[in-house]
Amino acid sequence: MISILTRAIMMSTPLLLGSVAEVYAERTGMMVTAIEGIFLLGAWGGFVGTYMTGSLAVGMLVAIAAGVATAAVYAAITVLLKQQQIVTGTAINILAGGFCAYFQRVLFGIPTTPLQISILDRIPIPFLSSIPVIGPMLFNQNILTYFAYIVIPVSYIVLYRTSLGLAIRSAGENPEAADASGINVNRIRFLTVLAAGAMGGLAGSFYTIGYLGMFTTGIIGGRGWIAFAICFLGNWNPRGAMFGTLVFGLAEAVSIYLQSTGGIAVIPNEFVIALPYILTIILTIAKRNFAVPAKLGVPYIKES
Amino acid sequence: MQPPVVEICHVSKYFSKVIANSDVSFSVGKGEVVALLGENGAGKSTIMKILYGLYSAVEGEILIDGKTARIKNPKDAMSYGIAMIQQHFSLVFPHTVTENVILGNVHGWIRLEEHDRKVKAIADSYGFDIPVTAKVGSLAVGIQQKVEILKALYLNARILIMDEPTAVLTPQESETLMQFIKDFASRGNSVIFITHKMKEVMEVADRIVVMKAGKVAGIVDSRSTDEGELARMMMSSDLEPAVREDDTEAGSDVLSVENAVMTDRSGLRLLDGLSFTVHSGEIFGIAGVSGNGQDELCEAICGTSHLSSGSIRFMGRDITSESVRARIDAGIGYVPVDRHRDGMIGQMTLSENMLLKKSYGGEWVHHGFIRQKELDNYTADRIKQYQIKATGPDDSAHNLSGGNQQKVVLAREIDAGKHLVVFNQPTRGLDVGAVERIHHSILSEKREGKAVILVSTELSEIFALSDRIAIMYQGRIMGIYRNGELTTEEIGLLMAGVDYEKAQ
Amino acid sequence: MRKLSDTSFVRKGYADVLAFNVGAIIIGLVISAMMLLFLKKNPIDVFGTAFGRIISDKYTLGEVMVKATPLVFTALAFAFTYKANLFNIGAQGQFYAGCIAAISLSLSLGGRIPGFILIPIVLIASFAAGAAVGSFIGFAKAKFNANEFLVSMMSTYVVQALMDFLLRTSLRETKAEYLQTDPINPAAYLPGILPGTRIHLGAVLAIAAAVGVWILLYKTSLGFRIRAVGNNPDAAEHSGIKAKRIFIISFAISGGLAGMAGLTEINGVQHMLLQNFNSSIGSFGIGIAILANGHPIGIIFASILFGFLNVVGTTMGRIPGLNIPASIIDLIQGIVMLCVIVSYFLRGHVMQQREKKLLMAKGGSV
Repeated sequence: MISILTRAIMMSTPLLLGSVAEVYAERTGMMVTAIEGIFLLGAWGGFVGTYMTGSLAVGMLVAIAAGVATAAVYAAITVLLKQQQIVTGTAINILAGGFCAYFQRVLFGIPTTPLQISILDRIPIPFLSSIPVIGPMLFNQNILTYFAYIVIPVSYIVLYRTSLGLAIRSAGENPEAADASGINVNRIRFLTVLAAGAMGGLAGSFYTIGYLGMFTTGIIGGRGWIAFAICFLGNWNPRGAMFGTLVFGLAEAVSIYLQSTGGIAVIPNEFVIALPYILTIILTIAKRNFAVPAKLGVPYIKES
Repeated sequence: MQPPVVEICHVSKYFSKVIANSDVSFSVGKGEVVALLGENGAGKSTIMKILYGLYSAVEGEILIDGKTARIKNPKDAMSYGIAMIQQHFSLVFPHTVTENVILGNVHGWIRLEEHDRKVKAIADSYGFDIPVTAKVGSLAVGIQQKVEILKALYLNARILIMDEPTAVLTPQESETLMQFIKDFASRGNSVIFITHKMKEVMEVADRIVVMKAGKVAGIVDSRSTDEGELARMMMSSDLEPAVREDDTEAGSDVLSVENAVMTDRSGLRLLDGLSFTVHSGEIFGIAGVSGNGQDELCEAICGTSHLSSGSIRFMGRDITSESVRARIDAGIGYVPVDRHRDGMIGQMTLSENMLLKKSYGGEWVHHGFIRQKELDNYTADRIKQYQIKATGPDDSAHNLSGGNQQKVVLAREIDAGKHLVVFNQPTRGLDVGAVERIHHSILSEKREGKAVILVSTELSEIFALSDRIAIMYQGRIMGIYRNGELTTEEIGLLMAGVDYEKAQ
Repeated sequence: MRKLSDTSFVRKGYADVLAFNVGAIIIGLVISAMMLLFLKKNPIDVFGTAFGRIISDKYTLGEVMVKATPLVFTALAFAFTYKANLFNIGAQGQFYAGCIAAISLSLSLGGRIPGFILIPIVLIASFAAGAAVGSFIGFAKAKFNANEFLVSMMSTYVVQALMDFLLRTSLRETKAEYLQTDPINPAAYLPGILPGTRIHLGAVLAIAAAVGVWILLYKTSLGFRIRAVGNNPDAAEHSGIKAKRIFIISFAISGGLAGMAGLTEINGVQHMLLQNFNSSIGSFGIGIAILANGHPIGIIFASILFGFLNVVGTTMGRIPGLNIPASIIDLIQGIVMLCVIVSYFLRGHVMQQREKKLLMAKGGSV
């Protein structure tokens, strides 16, 4: 039981980073529909950086850079050129898949054995990790998970208690008003998408350097979209994202557990795999009164 | 001599399809209130948006305190002490009053409580009663405007631009605003005031800049002019005003609204038990400040909203719970207040816009297929009849000017409304010429024997066209009078919710 | 303010779209070709050889149409709801639903009843299966105001899981070795229409579907209502058009179109169902719809282009001694799509400049 919960928290990590990134971007009015591609580039960047240098820290930096680069392409087209966000994201996601697979081949050719890297160690926090039950659950995780712990309060405080957060929230609700108050809406949207790219890249790298130790093109498999969905279901705030993330992390942990034990006879394995997606559909349908940012997905065009 | 606070020199501005300003020059002095007067579309807002840095001028320059000012964005404008209160408020509705006031003017950590106190103090200094921690979206329009003013005061603005500030206010609220403007200017500040209402201009302005078709038509001192002169300067041409014929005999009952109540989700009464009857061959005017239930009443009549209780009878039939489509088929035409949102589809052709209400049957649909040729012929015919300036039936609606768009909607609704046409502010935002033509159309519908409901916030329009006048206030009808029974002042009181008969 | 009534440049719209799209595609191909440099291959040689092989070989040339066929359907699926301003990005799942219907019927009825009866039945069933998934999304949108973007996306994963489940259980091949079905009876095949190639009746169906969608959208009152709701739901509502009903109808038709690709792929090409079958035609459909600016007839040509790019990639991979990975296909298609999106901006920009110039020329006459 504890091992499932430990795993749930672990599997929540990338979803949390990704959904908080999405919350920030969407609060400025930008849906980052390239999130799946950003995750993938992050996963690949993390793998390549680590494999080439043997350093997990470099891997993480490369993952962040890859996420930012992907986000930059997305932001350039959607913020500066004002093109449709869903459409642009789809193109980038297709490109991301091709890019990673292609350059994997460019860099490594056709390896005879699967390329492996060592993954991030679990770092038990002294004293805290020896608390019964919650100790091993919360305080025997890897560095990315600890980073996610910090992200929760920090992202909340920045969003609601700083001028930056006020500007971000205004850009998505009423960009004209923000502009009239001297806030450069397109700049804040652009930079927030880049920041989201950094977080998303890091989130993606979790799957290679924090979990599997290898890279395949199917490694993300829709988890970027799950993060995207969590942002919606969490009502566009970091606290909601945290709860949403835990639910999905738990679903994923249970799914992994059931797969590893061969499943339960009465519940088909495929149902368990589909569970997070079914859950998203049910929650999307059941949830009313979204606090959706008023100008979500609408480019800000200033007549001049 | 001290240079003027603001000097606008030979400023021109083009949009991709429109020339908005051409060679505009005028100045504003310290402690002075300048009114920018002109018809809708005369270019008043554009020139002010240039001064405020929202638009950039193509030609010309702006001097502040005698020195060339480079105003590229509102932030630059604010650094010169310029603040602008736009027609559409730039408020973030889900945020609190304080958050709105400090937006863009704080850096780093925000101590909300401290800011709340500061904003409250400024509000108090001008006698504004504003709940600073409330969400702006939950406040009344008059209060929201005060929040906008508060934003300017917070920045220590010394040049305040106000774009049509009284459009959303009751006459009494407007009076308070005028007092504030005088008070503010008397403290050594300058105010530029955009309006098309001459009464306000005469009351509050020191000097008046009259604009017409993007140019300055004249600058006059308010003490040495009168409304007649201003009107002559504003009007683009001498058009024959629509003349209402003498009261005709009331015809048969067309529409009867009985005890209509509509509540919103929170239980607030948008329509609060109103009753009236409209007859054939009659124009029934509904006066009132916008937002007092007129839109809801119109929506209830055309069927896009439904009453919580009460009934609507049309041509002797109860239509209270019938669908929009059934009501269209029954012969109700509706020209909505927001034609861009509710009345037309900009991306579609004029023919398609004509088809909008007839897609379920009628002369242009045959076995589910559109009879394009017949539809185009009809549209071409209407373009001619209503003198719509368009390249043809396949022109996109958004290529047309506002007035011509309104004529398209009007042509369709007048044909659709065989027995009743509801006009909700049909001339809002249109230039004088278009207004006159629309007034002629409305009167000719009456002559045809149709029943007409005319909702308008412009009393002059109500007086010019209506046979009977109902005044709406907070979802109720304050009274129904024959045209001529009441003076403007008396109606103004009723619009503000004061029952003047009791007050006397 | 006065607006110019001169709209002559609008008439040139189609020519502009074409010119900019073709330009963008060429630039996209050039950038993609550069990518071959990373593999230390000469792009001109590789592309030259690949093009040469495709053009000189009837079978390979035919493959372009074979690959394009299902893409027409998924692209139409996206474009159709897009006209109602809805996003159906779940065409992949609706395609899988169509596959499940097609394979089930073909396995159970194939050989028992003649093909000319079976094929129409499978056609209707695959349409209905896709439409069922589509209507669910439309219903969730209409009834609960659920975000159709999310629901349609998630529905793909759910349908895929269902398909995997069936492949592991009731539909699994008799020897139970792989996660795939038995091949269907040749009587259930879509007949080939061009000897020497794999082009089958599905290609005709695809073109017919595109033309049908065009007629539906632009010539019928239902299509008019769908476009009206898409452009301005408020005005549509004021005209007695029930937007919610339109949501369900357009999603049903959209899903049905995607489902029909199940028929063409199962009965026309693969003749069996296997795991991860055609796993990216859904997202390519979106790309194609973008390329064609959502126009049904344009979708035919854009699909052929994507089919061609696909065959180019495959052919490159087959050139002996070069070892070009198949992933080059996704890379080329992604780059071309981005170039086309950027070209939309440029086209808009150029048109705006043109209008401005026109106004300046008329300058003083206001």
